[in-house]
Amino acid sequence: MFYPKNLAGLLPAAACVVMLLLPGLSQAQERTVKIAGWGAKSGPLRSFGVNSEAVLKAAVESINAAGGVSLGDGTRAMMEMEYYDSACNADQAISVARKVASQTEALIGIGPTCSGAAAAMYGIFQKNVDNSGDTGLQFPILTDTAIRPGLAKKSQWTFRNVPNEINMYDELFAWLRENHPDVKTIYGGTETNQAHSKLTFAKVIVQMATKHGFEWVGGGIDGLTGKIGSGSDQVLETTKASNWLMEDTNFSVQARAFKKSRADMLIVSSHPFTTCGMLKEMKRQRVRPKVLVGLTSSSSQETLLGCAAEAEGMYIPTGFAPVTSVAKRVAKAATANGGFADLHSAAAWENAWIIKQVVEETGIMAKPSTLAADRRKMRDGLEALDNVDGLLGSVGRVRDEGESIKPFVFVQATGGQWVVVHDPRN
Amino acid sequence: MEDFWIEAIELTQSVIDGLLFGSTYALIGIGFTLIFGAMHKLNMTYAAASIAGAYVGLVVFVFFSAHPLLVFAVSSLASGLIGLLVYLICFRFIPVNNHLAALMATVGALFFIDEVIIHITNASPLAFPALFGAASFDLGAVWIRGDLLFVFAASVASTAALLYVLYRTRLGLATRAVSQQNVAAQLCGIDVHRTNATTFVVAGLLGGIAGAMTAASVGVLSPLLTLPITVKGLIVTVVGGLGSIPGAIIAGLMVGAAENVFLYLRGVNERDIYVLLLLFVFLVFRPNGIFGKSINRD
Repeated sequence: MFYPKNLAGLLPAAACVVMLLLPGLSQAQERTVKIAGWGAKSGPLRSFGVNSEAVLKAAVESINAAGGVSLGDGTRAMMEMEYYDSACNADQAISVARKVASQTEALIGIGPTCSGAAAAMYGIFQKNVDNSGDTGLQFPILTDTAIRPGLAKKSQWTFRNVPNEINMYDELFAWLRENHPDVKTIYGGTETNQAHSKLTFAKVIVQMATKHGFEWVGGGIDGLTGKIGSGSDQVLETTKASNWLMEDTNFSVQARAFKKSRADMLIVSSHPFTTCGMLKEMKRQRVRPKVLVGLTSSSSQETLLGCAAEAEGMYIPTGFAPVTSVAKRVAKAATANGGFADLHSAAAWENAWIIKQVVEETGIMAKPSTLAADRRKMRDGLEALDNVDGLLGSVGRVRDEGESIKPFVFVQATGGQWVVVHDPRN
Repeated sequence: MEDFWIEAIELTQSVIDGLLFGSTYALIGIGFTLIFGAMHKLNMTYAAASIAGAYVGLVVFVFFSAHPLLVFAVSSLASGLIGLLVYLICFRFIPVNNHLAALMATVGALFFIDEVIIHITNASPLAFPALFGAASFDLGAVWIRGDLLFVFAASVASTAALLYVLYRTRLGLATRAVSQQNVAAQLCGIDVHRTNATTFVVAGLLGGIAGAMTAASVGVLSPLLTLPITVKGLIVTVVGGLGSIPGAIIAGLMVGAAENVFLYLRGVNERDIYVLLLLFVFLVFRPNGIFGKSINRD
């Protein structure tokens, strides 16, 4: 048997070997799946970013508490999240996207808040993968909030997990048709300097209402059919809808137009601040429609904080309500983290779990040396997804468009709460 | 013929609503003009401080269920205090002749105050109490909102109180003296800095009332109110004449009414074009505003 002559002489060598191995060991131990989130944490839409961050943080904590993520070589890694402020601003969203893609080891980004910012930001990504002539960012995005229909197809690196408003309003008006047979005419307005409110109103809501037999007061609108986008320019004309701006303070003229229309159903397509301003003015002028319909984004806590009494009875389709055990848990966790789970922010939870699923399915290594390959695997993995588990049930994926088909419910403001009045899943 | 009368009634109603709401613009305009009159400088923070004051008032309402009148009083006091801080931070230690530095300091303070509100409230709209919110007066085919009438009455009362202070008290005399010739005022023993600070507090007290009235008339308080009120206040100040209180009052009512009429006739997308055109017309053809002292355009 071999015995070293001088054991003490081997100690420095052993120490050197251990020293050499240590970085490798620590690297294996410290490998993390890094993700980046960004949204409006400053400016008038700050609540959206705060809510998304709160839910995303809760999701990451829940994944880590369940043992983390399994990497390609079988190592378990924790998930790490950093959240950035991109305001509701295209320049800032682009700047954050560039920074995260080039200066961090994040595998994927989740954001931004506003549709206008998302539309501009998606433009800096490589349009088609493997196109060497396109030097756009090669970094996957899985947006949680920006909801305007049809944005994700701008790049093959951009994906969204946001509700499909076309399906939502289609189903809502079908349900209203069935449950309110006495309602025949519609009228409404929107905040015209907010892309999501305006376009959803002019291209989706009015068309879906028309599709289900509701008629715009005063003999309809030229070119308006049940087809998405039909007659959208005419819908926004002064002689048709009565609109306002996102920062308006006086709604007397608009509320009067609503009252004068004598429509059975009124549509207020705007975000919480002006929804509340408008609803309060409608109450003052005693405008009492048979049915009141709101924009998806107003199915939030902000609306209840601002005008719960005036919103009483308003119907809104939403992609989130605490109707399942996991959704209830998410709502609680979001509140504990200083935010609210709602239509927009709840998607951040699903996104974190989708990322975990894709990392495990595609064998992502989460090493600095494999970053580019990992990002590509993440993109390909997202592209290949068919269905994922969501908070309200299975979320379908539209492959070539990078979009989701999410389950949704209809809520109604009742007694200061959003109460689920119909669940199309059942 | 029937259509003509319906249109006439609608227009009348638009003018009435606009005039009543314009009284809040007038109060903001008076604040701008008061400070400009005293120091010949623009305080861009003014509307933000007014809204910040309204938020402090809302705290009293939410946590102590205070009566709306107390909410308005607290809003006014808080805004006065913020006005003093703004004076100390943005004007007191900046050389008198460096107008641009003071202007930029107040622009920075405007965004700072706005962002502080946003971070504290997460920018959520919050319900704000109104006095006589449910009251309305029917005058034949047109009607008047009770809360807006109160806003109008409060604006008139605040303006009357301000005019009394300016023209019937030693403080007003000092303010006018500093405004006309600050060196001579100093030689007469008037403490210019103290007078300016007091002017900021008085303007702030008025601004707090305007902020609370605006929030009460919308029914909701949000940081989104800051910028439009700042813009409206500036328009009113220019149209009324820099430094003219009666001008600010008339311009406030005029802008409120014009805004509503343009909104009714041309829709929201064109409304602000016409209001800004009004500003442009005054800047070109009557740069001294309705009642302002004459300005040498060259």
